Amino acid sequence: MLLIHCPYCEEDRPEVEFANGGQAHIARPADPSAYSDPQWEEFLYIRRNPRGRHHERWRHVHGCGRFFNAVRDTVSDRFETTYKAGEPAR
Amino acid sequence: MLEIAPMKLSAADLALPAEALVADGVQLALADDYARFSLRARDAAILEGLLGRKLPAKIGETLDGVACLGPDEWLALLPAGTALPLGEGLPVSVTDISSRALGFVVEGPRAVELITSGCPLDVAKFPIGRGTRTVFETVEIVVWRTAEARFHIEVWRSFAPWLWHALAAAA
Amino acid sequence: MSGYRLSVGGRINRAAPLSFTFDGKAYQGLEGDSLASALLASGVMLFGRSFKYHRPRGILGMGSEEPNALMTVERGPARMTPNLRAPSVALHAGLAAKSQNRFPTLRRDLTAVNDTLSAFFPAGFYNKTFMWPRAAWESVYEPIIRRLAGLGDSPTTRDPDHYGATYAHCDVLVVGAGPAGIAAAVEAAATGGRVILIDEQEEPGGGALADPAQWADLAASLAALNAADNVQILSRTTAIGHYHQNFVVAVERLTDHLAPTDAKGAREKLWRIRAGRVVLAQGAIERPLVFDGNDIPGVMLASAARTAALRYGVAVGRSVIVMAVHDSGWRDALALMAAGVTVSTIIDLRQDVAAELVDAARGAGIAVHLGCAVTSARGRLGISSITYAPGGTVDERAIACDALLMAGGWTPTVHLWSHAKGTLRWDGAWGAYLPDTTHEVMTCVGGCGGAWDYGSGLALGTLPSAKPLHKRKGFVDFQNDVKARDIGLAVQEGFRSIEHIKRYTTNGMATDQGKTSNLNGLQIASDVLSRPVTEIGLTTFRPPYTPQTFGALLGHHKEALFQPLRKTAIDDWARDHGAVYENVAQWRRARYFPRGAEDMDAAVLRECLAVRDSVGMFDASTLGKIEVVGPDAAEFLNRLYTNPWKSLAPGRCRYGLLLREEGFIMDDGVAGRMAPDRFHVTTTTGGAARVLNMMEDYLQTEWSDLDVWLTSATEQWAVIAVQGPKARDVIAGLVSGIDLSREAFPHMAVREGHICGVPTRLFRVSFTGELGFEVNVPAQHGRMVWEAIHAAGQPYDITPYGTEAMHVLRAEKGFIIIGQDTDGTITPEDAGMAWAIGQKKPDFVGKRSLARPDLVAQGRKQLVGLLTEDGTHVLEEGAQIVADPDQPVPMTMIGHVTSAYLSPALGRSIALALVADGRARMGETLYVPMPGGVIRAVVTGPVFYDAEGSRLDA
Ligand SMILES: [Zn+2]
Repeated sequence: MLLIHCPYCEEDRPEVEFANGGQAHIARPADPSAYSDPQWEEFLYIRRNPRGRHHERWRHVHGCGRFFNAVRDTVSDRFETTYKAGEPAR
Repeated sequence: MLEIAPMKLSAADLALPAEALVADGVQLALADDYARFSLRARDAAILEGLLGRKLPAKIGETLDGVACLGPDEWLALLPAGTALPLGEGLPVSVTDISSRALGFVVEGPRAVELITSGCPLDVAKFPIGRGTRTVFETVEIVVWRTAEARFHIEVWRSFAPWLWHALAAAA
Repeated sequence: MSGYRLSVGGRINRAAPLSFTFDGKAYQGLEGDSLASALLASGVMLFGRSFKYHRPRGILGMGSEEPNALMTVERGPARMTPNLRAPSVALHAGLAAKSQNRFPTLRRDLTAVNDTLSAFFPAGFYNKTFMWPRAAWESVYEPIIRRLAGLGDSPTTRDPDHYGATYAHCDVLVVGAGPAGIAAAVEAAATGGRVILIDEQEEPGGGALADPAQWADLAASLAALNAADNVQILSRTTAIGHYHQNFVVAVERLTDHLAPTDAKGAREKLWRIRAGRVVLAQGAIERPLVFDGNDIPGVMLASAARTAALRYGVAVGRSVIVMAVHDSGWRDALALMAAGVTVSTIIDLRQDVAAELVDAARGAGIAVHLGCAVTSARGRLGISSITYAPGGTVDERAIACDALLMAGGWTPTVHLWSHAKGTLRWDGAWGAYLPDTTHEVMTCVGGCGGAWDYGSGLALGTLPSAKPLHKRKGFVDFQNDVKARDIGLAVQEGFRSIEHIKRYTTNGMATDQGKTSNLNGLQIASDVLSRPVTEIGLTTFRPPYTPQTFGALLGHHKEALFQPLRKTAIDDWARDHGAVYENVAQWRRARYFPRGAEDMDAAVLRECLAVRDSVGMFDASTLGKIEVVGPDAAEFLNRLYTNPWKSLAPGRCRYGLLLREEGFIMDDGVAGRMAPDRFHVTTTTGGAARVLNMMEDYLQTEWSDLDVWLTSATEQWAVIAVQGPKARDVIAGLVSGIDLSREAFPHMAVREGHICGVPTRLFRVSFTGELGFEVNVPAQHGRMVWEAIHAAGQPYDITPYGTEAMHVLRAEKGFIIIGQDTDGTITPEDAGMAWAIGQKKPDFVGKRSLARPDLVAQGRKQLVGLLTEDGTHVLEEGAQIVADPDQPVPMTMIGHVTSAYLSPALGRSIALALVADGRARMGETLYVPMPGGVIRAVVTGPVFYDAEGSRLDA
């Protein structure tokens, strides 16, 4: 069970309090109707599956309730950093 | 075919008992009724102004019956019957959830041990007054250390029988 | 010496004899014995039969690595545990153990014919042989294999024990209480932090328990640790897995070492330990040697014989031979001699052995043969002699013996290191993998870290032999009956990676996970492939380190506590009134309320008619509820749901449809606007948590500019649906502060007031098509209000109804159930619910997707009604639909039935179905092929009853 540093609670908390939310930094466009079909498909479905550094979303669902972003190494499973939603990608 | 006898006790049989549970070194009891409110605001000062009370500033801290659960979220456990202004029109949310949860009081020298049996946090290191949302096994709870050897646990009403009996089994 | 018990020595209590049985025969052991040592002391050599060939097997090791001596221990009829390793079973009075894999008896196993025919059971035998004919697999091959193979039997009754679980936190966790682990714990304890020391054996001490010279130090260290209040020592506790960030899972055995009458409380306890630092001190496991007959009872590890003698005071034989390729075998031989066990001979493959060892052995009267190797062990149910020869020659000589000890070097126990993704490096001197690098805060000390002076030795695949590999019969994996030649065969058949060789031969795949076989297997593969062992790879170590009971892994979650069963505030009333339940998500819901001898159909018919003719009441408390509050509440719902929300006036409700961003229906529910900035939103029962999470997701990560907050209110409110033409009459006398008249309180309105003196949010909504109200009251008052409504409804014969009637009533009206009539690929258009989409809204979640080419394509499945030609026939939900019943199989399926009931209002069966281009098929006859014949049904609209909705406003 991972220990995850919640950037809102500012402490390490056990993984069972969290839910993974998939790849991070995929912003919903302000005007989806302006997106072409291929662009919209990319937004909906196309995700990275990197070996190594990965930006992903987590939610401290059984804690402060907040979504935040994390950089995790998919090989070692180690978190490099976590940061609040809305902050630029690290 | 293998026939397995039915369980003597099934999940459907679990109910909250009327009596407190007294075990070696720890006691488990239902807490008094409270007026419960979920208080939400981006700016705590607006809520403080509306309610006329100070709110704890940091997640995990508590003050006068109010726990800060998230950056914009507080749980108020106030004397039963307390009414709060709803702050209509203000950028706040005040929602009465008095009936949503039940409170348990876990008390005694083995209180930490009992809660740690299913809560993954290092409860032994909680300072008095710390309150946080977490889990007991798969059930979401709020754990609030109210004294060295006393904790208040909040659990949603329908999960309370399971939690009670899980704690009783561990006690 | 009485039997094989030495007259002095050991840590057993000679004053405390214990009676036990093995295969029904009575034996006596001593307090402090293991089952293995007690049987050895009684002269038992034969402990079990092997998995595949049913060969007779004895003890190989004296720890949890033991592959052969698997026992079933019975503690009463429901307490039967198979596959326990005899050396790890503590003896207690009345212990009843049975050997396994024998038919009918251990000494005379008829199925040992497998062994005679073993030439025909090579690696991959099962895969190759039982391929054809296919039908024979189930009827012939599998039953036979299941009887011959398999390890032990499962208990056949419910496990009466309960199990504990806990989390624990410490600064330093030490795994293994041998000398290195104890030293680490003492050091850690001195820093004042919390220390946990866990050890799998009956008492801490590890290897020191077999070395009386260390007992005084051991006792002193343990006394100091026990006295320290920052140290917790857990014996009989096995660390089974090591996960990220120093999270170690261990199982403590609390009662199995006690006589059943003394066993109180939980049987086992699951420890989930988070440590600041993990110190692994798991020691090393001695390696067997591979030669013909190396599995005959009486052939065992030298360390096992040493433990038997020095810890348990048991001689493993009266004339013992040691076959060594490592110095440790010599030391063990000398220790055995000193303890009173006669070692006749030491054979060592090496020509150069330290002179002090050779001199000491000869001085003790032991014959020494250097440069030689055992070529075979002989004997049927126990060893009687060996042959040996100078390395690799045919110049064999025989010696009689009753035990042969193998000293094949040592394999550091790196399992837990590897679980946590610590890397390994090959160490030539050890002939084994040692811990290398790690991301975790963990260290290895003592034997498992390679820091243990056992002298030097060779690392071999097999002992040299003049025979070619394919004629040799030495075993590598004792538990899975894998021979050296099987590995040769795997390589010959083209397998190169050790991961493939492992799976083809099953080497290392038994319950011991290859603790004694992995390294020998690697060496053999390396020899056969003529490649260095480091190029062969290493198989992955996985938890659990040793097999565990399901009970231990369940911890708190057994039986009644398996998972929470959520019950509403009204559930007790339903129980008292004979409700039959069904589970929906984690909730238990009343399905119907039979009267007298009614079956479900009869009860549902009566309940449905009551709602249509008079009034019914239904516990809808499980509906998800979310309080959406803030100045931007309407804007938020407007962006989320397909419907328009901004124009909804306070006091009014709207049916909301929620899509996923992909355009498919995710959830639905009615929302009421309680105030300009406050909505009471309902969701489906099963969707409550999912919808709240989705809402939080959009709110926090996409629209964080909105001033709106979400509060789950599912459990705040008990909800009582009062439905039927008399609904208003029933509640009229109970409600205060709300004008219930049609004009003042129209359909799809919500009011706040009081009912029975408690606050209510009263919704005028209907999921039945009848006049209806949903009474929301704080959950603590739910039962009281329910009973009051029930009493007030008596003049109208108010009828409590369950989920089944609710489903029928809504199906008559063509209202969908999310997840039953939709399946995650259905758009509003597919469901015939385009009316729920706010056409003027520039955006909402899922809107853009609704314009994707495949979501507007022809041929999509659409929700329609189906009426069977025979109105008494109820279709099966899930049944497939075809357009032409005469087409060849496999037929083209154009849809499926999603809901089907007998409709009381229509007096015939009805069904909802998803059918390709369904709305273009109105009036068409379709076909539902079923095992009993093809059923004909006509396509209709999905609304079967009161299509005008005239009954709503009664
Ligand atoms: Zn948090």
